[in-house]
Amino acid sequence: MQDLKPLHNAILTGDAKTAKAITEKALADGIEPIILVQDHMMPAMAEVGRRFECNEYFVPELLLAGRAMKGALELIRPRLTASGAKPTARVAVGTVKGDLHDIGKNLVAAMLEGGGYEVIDLGVNVTPEQFVAAVKEKGAQILALSALLTTTMPAMKTTMDALQSAGVRQQVKVLVGGAPITQKYADEIGADGFSESAAGAVSAAKKALG
Amino acid sequence: MSMFDTKGQAGGQNGRKPNTLKKLERLNRALSHQEPDRVPISDFFWGGFTRRWQQELGLPPDANPYYHYDLDWIVTVPNMDPWIRPFETVKETPEEVVVKTGFGSILHKHFEFPMPEMRGWETDSFEKLERAKFDDPADSRRFFAGGDNQIAGVGDGFQRNTPPWIETVKSLRPDFPVYGSIIEVSECLTRLIGQQNAMLWMAEEPERMGAIINRIGQFYFETAKAEMVAGKGLLDGFVIWGDVAYKKSTFMSPKYWREYFKPWVAKITDHAHANGLPVIYHGCGNVKAIFQDYIDMRVDAYNPLEAKAGMDVIELRRQFGHGIGFCGNSDIQVWETGDHEAIRREVLRKLNAARGGGYIFQSDHSVSSAVSGRTYDYIVKLVRDFGNYPIELGEFNERL
Repeated sequence: MQDLKPLHNAILTGDAKTAKAITEKALADGIEPIILVQDHMMPAMAEVGRRFECNEYFVPELLLAGRAMKGALELIRPRLTASGAKPTARVAVGTVKGDLHDIGKNLVAAMLEGGGYEVIDLGVNVTPEQFVAAVKEKGAQILALSALLTTTMPAMKTTMDALQSAGVRQQVKVLVGGAPITQKYADEIGADGFSESAAGAVSAAKKALG
Repeated sequence: MSMFDTKGQAGGQNGRKPNTLKKLERLNRALSHQEPDRVPISDFFWGGFTRRWQQELGLPPDANPYYHYDLDWIVTVPNMDPWIRPFETVKETPEEVVVKTGFGSILHKHFEFPMPEMRGWETDSFEKLERAKFDDPADSRRFFAGGDNQIAGVGDGFQRNTPPWIETVKSLRPDFPVYGSIIEVSECLTRLIGQQNAMLWMAEEPERMGAIINRIGQFYFETAKAEMVAGKGLLDGFVIWGDVAYKKSTFMSPKYWREYFKPWVAKITDHAHANGLPVIYHGCGNVKAIFQDYIDMRVDAYNPLEAKAGMDVIELRRQFGHGIGFCGNSDIQVWETGDHEAIRREVLRKLNAARGGGYIFQSDHSVSSAVSGRTYDYIVKLVRDFGNYPIELGEFNERL
């Protein structure tokens, strides 16, 4: 059996080329895609998250690892789908209406993908209606809302209200994060989870799902 | 109307008013950690705030917070674009505009939204970045000619044909202590290649990227030197704009920052000091991991000390004493509530940091359109009422 420790290391060090090469070979050798993801790639991203949390890794290393993970995952995803394997959950991420910043949202998306979630990136300046549509039309089980500015964070509350009005609030968990966001604010608007950092989004999602 | 478009009302008047000299003395004493007559106060105002403030206070459309409140200092921005050229309009409607700037960035400005969106970059590969050759850092147009420039033109507002920097400096000088300013490498990279590419390329090619950072650092060092020559005898201090952190920590490792970014901040700081100019460094986010470095570089004051990133001026004073001045840290999120009791607590508590000088009162970033005009009016009154030396804050007195 192929030694897959180098796949773990390639993701950990952000070596996208090696991660893809090992993944291609492993798939050609008949290794189950789910094994690659669950036993090697997700633990690698979990370690990336751990290092990020304790300031061994910083944003550059996190982005690089996320890109390596994404590249390998793109090779695996069609086979996962064909095999009927289900992601942990489907998450729609987006920066709220009026806010055009995306790096925090992108980091969260990378970490969630690394955590086994299927991620739909709704982009920036996402209206409450678009978040509602992500639940209704794309089957998002979690919404992850990002805001950088104090002036745009009220759009999170507007989005919560829109989910309620559309009658979909009970079928989706809502996570919030971003520079001005606090646990207190998350509680005030009735969000299901909050994370101080991108790496913490994975455990926040898991906790919200129960 | 935007953050850096205040032009002086002094017209052709020469010389400085006694009140301006008094403000300058106030500011300089504070930066020298001596107690002036009262705590200096100023801020950076979003255009959206200024409009709201004018309406709420029934002020005329040309009313300006710097003049209305006789604030204690103001900062000016020359043309810092790598390539000096007019904006190229990609799309324009009454609601939004898309332009390509002198940083080669494609910027989308929706007039309803506070900040622009970067949609793309002319310098979109590492190889292009390595080959990029900027215009002359000392090109006189940066200081003496009007025209488009990204820093002044596309931010919280949108402005074409910014007036010549030197004219702005001269027009403000009779009424305010006037600071020049320069961006450092991090701010350039964000505009030149986007923050995500900047981070990725630092991780992919740390040493090659380091060489680029050094080249850009040298460029802005030369621009800063040229600005100090252009503004000789007219400037009272210098601001270095350089965001290198976010809520949790520095973007890049402190080690990488120390190796490639810090030396250029140090060089600009030393050069400003050699020209008799105090330095205020503006950097958002949580910079606790590198705060001692700014003290080591002899930066005179740190701004804005974002409360939402866990920066607290009282804790910093306890930790670092009077090794550095502080400028800012009053929590804008509290200001935005409009709750006078909460604002009073916030403002008076932070004024403890002004004991022994070394503190300029400002928000912890800039005054946003979510702050009401009446709230800001109340805050200035609080600072003026309680910021007289010796500082006496009653129930809010804290031992440092």
